[in-house]
Amino acid sequence: MLNILLLTLTLSTPLILAAMGGFCSERSGVINIGLEGLMLTSACVVAISSPSCGAFGGVLLGVVAAIVLSVIHWVATQHYRIDHVISGMAVNALAAGGTNYLFGRFGDVDKGAMPILNEKFFVGIAFILPFLIWLYVGRTRGGLRLQAVGSDPEKARLAGLNPVLIRLGGLICCGVFTGLGGAMLVSYTGVFTNDMTAGRGYIALAALIVGGWRPLPALGACVAFGFLYALRLQFQGVTVLSMQPPSQLWAALPYVATVLALAGFVGKSRTPAGLGKY
Amino acid sequence: MKWRLLALAGGSLLFLLACLVLAKVSPLEAGQTLVQGSLGSAAALTGTLRETTPLLIAGLAVFIALRAGLFNIGVEGQLTIGAFCCSVVALRLPGFLGIVVGLIAGMAGGALWALPAGWIKAYRNGHEVITTIMLNSVAVFLTTYLAAGPFKAPNQQEPSTEVLSDGSHLPVLLSIRALHINVGLVLGLMAVAVCTVWLSKTVSGFRFQATGANPVAARFAGVETKPTVMRAMLLSGALAGFGGAVQVCAYEFRFYEGFSPGYGFDALGVALLAGNSAVGVVPASLLFGILAKGGTALQIDGVPKGITVVVLGLLILIAAAIRYRKVNVVA
Repeated sequence: MLNILLLTLTLSTPLILAAMGGFCSERSGVINIGLEGLMLTSACVVAISSPSCGAFGGVLLGVVAAIVLSVIHWVATQHYRIDHVISGMAVNALAAGGTNYLFGRFGDVDKGAMPILNEKFFVGIAFILPFLIWLYVGRTRGGLRLQAVGSDPEKARLAGLNPVLIRLGGLICCGVFTGLGGAMLVSYTGVFTNDMTAGRGYIALAALIVGGWRPLPALGACVAFGFLYALRLQFQGVTVLSMQPPSQLWAALPYVATVLALAGFVGKSRTPAGLGKY
Repeated sequence: MKWRLLALAGGSLLFLLACLVLAKVSPLEAGQTLVQGSLGSAAALTGTLRETTPLLIAGLAVFIALRAGLFNIGVEGQLTIGAFCCSVVALRLPGFLGIVVGLIAGMAGGALWALPAGWIKAYRNGHEVITTIMLNSVAVFLTTYLAAGPFKAPNQQEPSTEVLSDGSHLPVLLSIRALHINVGLVLGLMAVAVCTVWLSKTVSGFRFQATGANPVAARFAGVETKPTVMRAMLLSGALAGFGGAVQVCAYEFRFYEGFSPGYGFDALGVALLAGNSAVGVVPASLLFGILAKGGTALQIDGVPKGITVVVLGLLILIAAAIRYRKVNVVA
């Protein structure tokens, strides 16, 4: 029982970090389907650079890579005014192709074991971060501005704010947190594999939606999804009621739960009103 | 605005060149390999057309949904389910009947797999992008389980169904020396033609496009947008399933683990590049067919296949910067 709780904490960490990244982006009004790509890119860069830059340097470079991709999304949506969902899909394509290419070229297996940061480092950040964001967004000038821009960019502009610049801030934070999430994934497994995020970015986004775009409920939703991942590791191949459920059933659990959550929980009212607007 | 587009296109090109140079590949040689490997010989062209077929039908599926304002990222899963249903049904029926019923089963399977996403979008306001992507993963797990368990061919090592008998194959329509054109490609082209006419010449097609262009205006004009969204998703899923079924009957002759190497995602690029008319899906899918086949040739030369996906991402950005700009711009 204790085992499964610890597993839940560990496995929900990348989800929480990505969901908080998604919060910074979506609360400022930028729809971000690209969380998946940010995580994947960061994980890949961490895996490639850690052997030569050390564990901390690797994570730093991974986060920088995620920020770069996040800023590409910012330029595409805010300057070129590309539909946010399409831009997000393009970011994901760039990340999926780019990591495959980078890792195929530079991901030498013979560089030896890669140094990694202890996963407790990430778990600690993940469980403190939502509270900090909650305080920041609700209690400070910068946080209220972020919300204002996400709720009604036109009125925010009339009030003297610059939505485009504030969204840049939101998307840079998004890159930092989501990048940490990707770094956590590769630190936990110790290797990079193609498409290793396996939809975690989308699940984090679903958790954010189920949590009504609020940091603390989103944290709860992420822990719930993390619990499903933990169940999979714990119960795969175990006999239940004299039957052995196929491993694919446990593997599909988080995805099915995401669909059910979106079918049941989504209310219109909590969506940031300025999402996708200029 | 023009210089911005030029900057985007130029930046993309530079990025691509930098990728190639970083990997110590001459961009010229890479381009040559890509063209040679996809169009250089009759055999290469046959391979390109083979790659084009699923992209054509899947691209049409994404396109139809896009016209009604939906991003059906779930084509990947719907295609997988359609292919599985088709192979299971076609195995149990003889010859021509097997093909016909198999194709219908594939369409039914694809539509069924799109149903939850359509319902959640229309009546629960849950974004279709997330639900369809989740259903993609579930489709892979489900079909892998079925192909490894109840429907596994005893003589296969990997999870796979039995191979269809010769009578249940879609035949080659035209053979000019080494160039073979399968009936599957023609079926895809026919589907494009039907959809083009349907979208532009019929009332239901117009309702579709009205819903996609402006759902509020469509509702005021008397279009029931929610059922239309459902229908769009089901139709898109059926087309995707059809694509998977054609792939089984024309080229693969069985279902196996990892059936789709990402057709559904390439199809997204195809649909975005296609522009405003379904006819545009044809050249767009041919372009992606060339990229896919040429990418395989590049891979043999030691360039990881991911580079073609990077090209896909850049093409999506450029196409979207031209066509899918938000218009509700505040000065």
